[in-house]
Amino acid sequence: MSELTWLFIAFSAVWVGIGAYVLSLGVRQRKLESRLEELDRKD
Amino acid sequence: MRAPSSPDVPKQSAITRLGILTMVAIAASLYLVFFEAREADAAMGGQLQRIFYFHVPSAWAAYLAFAIVFISSIAYLRTGARRWDLLATSAAELGVLFTTLVLITGPIWARPVWGTWWQWDARLTSALVMWLSYVGYLLLRGLVLDPTKAGRLAAVVGIVGFVNVPIVHFSVQWWRTLHPSGPTVADMERSSGLGSPELIAFFVSLAAFTLLFAWLLAVRVRLGRTADRVEQLEMKLAT
Repeated sequence: MSELTWLFIAFSAVWVGIGAYVLSLGVRQRKLESRLEELDRKD
Repeated sequence: MRAPSSPDVPKQSAITRLGILTMVAIAASLYLVFFEAREADAAMGGQLQRIFYFHVPSAWAAYLAFAIVFISSIAYLRTGARRWDLLATSAAELGVLFTTLVLITGPIWARPVWGTWWQWDARLTSALVMWLSYVGYLLLRGLVLDPTKAGRLAAVVGIVGFVNVPIVHFSVQWWRTLHPSGPTVADMERSSGLGSPELIAFFVSLAAFTLLFAWLLAVRVRLGRTADRVEQLEMKLAT
């Protein structure tokens, strides 16, 4: 494999990893907020 | 009624502004890394050496994260305040993320340059041990059901685990390793072998990763606060 292919793999790994973590934080936050709204209505 | 937000909760507008600033810094670093920094010598991997601009800042972000775990863990054991426990957990999660990136990008550089994915030298081994100890920290939090006990046990692990961080950093100076040693602050240009465009790209990348770390930490702390509020309301409604 060429240097640029290895570079592309490393670069993708960094940003896919960070992107996946940001996405997981967003999903968890949305789920918690909808649960909070549900509980607020009951309270 | 929704409880008023705690002063400890990072404000949404501040998080958004920090997020925008982070994106701008990342865009600037990508431009500098790919269009301004020159190709390195073949011995350092040529084009592949550009991994260094993400690998080193990821390691820096991990050090920063574990230092916050260390300080917050001491503060939690002293005060018992939930905010320190939450800060430590959030920082540990981010430290594991950034160390994972270090442990992925390092072998990708090493395979074509060294001819092997991995060497059990002092830097690589101590970095792996550091990653394992903080994965253990996060697992421990999940395994112990009592939150106070989990917080206290995790705080002890967070304090003891930090002992390994300076070992990781100084391993390239203390032992003979295959891993390249870092530049010295006194003469950055000569000791790093980097010219001005490369040093600018490196420091902008370092700043971008520091901002990224701060933004992710703020988002993760807000998530933890929301989870706490949900738990409090569930307990209130159950009684």
